[in-house]
Amino acid sequence: MASKTVWRTLQPRIPTPIRSQNAYRCFSCAVRHAQKEEQPSERTTSFGFETVAESIKQSKVSSVFTSVAPSYDTMNDLMSLTIHRHWKRQFVQLLDPGTPRGARPQTILDIAGGTGDIAFRLLDHATDLHADHASRVLVADINPAMLAAGRARAARSRYRDSGRLSFLEANAEDLRAAGVADASVDLYTTAFGPRNFTSLAAALREAYRVLKPGGVFAMLEFAKVGNPAFNRLYKMWSFGVIPLMGQVVAGDRESYAYLVESVERWKSQEEVAELVREAGFLVPGEKGWVDFTGGVVAVHRGVKP
Amino acid sequence: MRHRPSCIRSYHPYKHESNSSPFNPTEEAVLAASLRHVPTHGFTNASLSLGAREVGYLDITVNLFPRGVFDLVNYHLVTKRLALKKLLDIQAAKDDGGALTGLGIGARVRFLTLERLMANRPIIHRWQEALAIMAQPSYVPASIAELARLSDEIWFLAGDTSVDSSWYTKRASLSMIYSSTELFMTQDKSKAFAGTQKFLDRRFEDVRVVGRGISNIGNYLDYTAHSFINVLRSKGAKI
Ligand SMILES: C[S@@+](CC[C@H](N)C(=O)[O-])C[C@H]1O[C@@H](n2cnc3c(N)ncnc32)[C@H](O)[C@@H]1O
Repeated sequence: MASKTVWRTLQPRIPTPIRSQNAYRCFSCAVRHAQKEEQPSERTTSFGFETVAESIKQSKVSSVFTSVAPSYDTMNDLMSLTIHRHWKRQFVQLLDPGTPRGARPQTILDIAGGTGDIAFRLLDHATDLHADHASRVLVADINPAMLAAGRARAARSRYRDSGRLSFLEANAEDLRAAGVADASVDLYTTAFGPRNFTSLAAALREAYRVLKPGGVFAMLEFAKVGNPAFNRLYKMWSFGVIPLMGQVVAGDRESYAYLVESVERWKSQEEVAELVREAGFLVPGEKGWVDFTGGVVAVHRGVKP
Repeated sequence: MRHRPSCIRSYHPYKHESNSSPFNPTEEAVLAASLRHVPTHGFTNASLSLGAREVGYLDITVNLFPRGVFDLVNYHLVTKRLALKKLLDIQAAKDDGGALTGLGIGARVRFLTLERLMANRPIIHRWQEALAIMAQPSYVPASIAELARLSDEIWFLAGDTSVDSSWYTKRASLSMIYSSTELFMTQDKSKAFAGTQKFLDRRFEDVRVVGRGISNIGNYLDYTAHSFINVLRSKGAKI
């Protein structure tokens, strides 16, 4: 009986939109908040399998992370079986931040940087591989609670008094409001942030503006799995196991399901690459992206000419 | 920006590839500047970064090159191949018809092959590094495809328009002559690479003596494979 339930749960329920009952869970985060009525006349965007007015998504997203900020890093491990660490490590290795002795230090902007997970890795890479003790990372996030968790982490880290790590409350789609100047950034990174943006195109426009000529835009985000057999397995895991895990671990199936839905609703590698090009970036290689784990996630890069 | 597909293209007697540069202006600027650092810094990431900085970009700009240093090697290969056409245009524009007047196809092939080899002069002391990079499994197909393009270009520019069954043999022989001579050149200490020139002539002579050259292909392969393995060993490859 119990096993039957489990089996049913494991069946991929791919295209069945589940109402997320006002709950929201990001890569691993959940919070409840008041659902707004949809206004049909307004422009809409996706929120899991739901479609909501663009003006609402942002406030939903920004409130989402508040309650989960303290447990955010632990939750990530659980959700992705710690593979997210591997992806983040590969992401940073690919970008190879840091400059050799004598060269100009880099200004790195980590957008939707949350608790600073990417930022620490960027600094570690620059410091340990290039003996670069001067390049700096600015972590920007729309959510003050996530930033507070990041600050607490920074205070416990080797970068505590280095002046190399700072935090800024900012919306990726309007960095001007947060005071990020034109052509001031060498490397713009964002990991698992773009799915939460109301408009990736708007964020790309801002990335282009703040990057120096020759500067690099780099984004790590869920993508589409190419191999059909692996895709089936992956869907089984994400639509079956993850919500089940949410039910068992957190007594909250729906918000875990949100994660999976938002990944399902997200763009393909081709679509993202096209947006990167449209924003004016040169994309490296023939395709302009690199798949990790068969396309479960992908890295898109663009160089500002 | 689009790179050529990194797979071996099927070569077809009736098609000759166009001569347009596959590099966009940003790549072109960075790679050209990087190549100027190769004599001192080798085919390395340092040369790429220095090149990027020199033309006003950043260390991080090298993210533009997904294949890293191989993209620098490839740039050298592609631009030196395309330079052969320009060289011929310059020769043809001369009043006396230039260096190639009155030469037969064979002599023109030799002339162009030697010109291409000599284009390696500034970086020849670094070329073994490049060979080691080209021998990395993921870059082998692209490297072989580029060598095939070079052979095709030389035969084409020499005026060979025949499309008979010798088409593939000619290109295969020239590829082997070229790569073995290039390898010889990396170790040639003679004045003005006179040794390389002699080596090249002997290889062409072999082909001439044997007629179509097929039976001698084995010899080139042996020589090339042998020296190539030695080069790789000297670069630390465990083979
Ligand atoms: C899944 S977390 C990723 C955190 C971190 N980059 C990581 O990989 O661990 C998504 C983050 O995006 C932030 N975010 C969502 N929308 C944003 C926006 N429009 N501008 C800036 N940050 C945003 C959220 O506050 C949250 O911290």
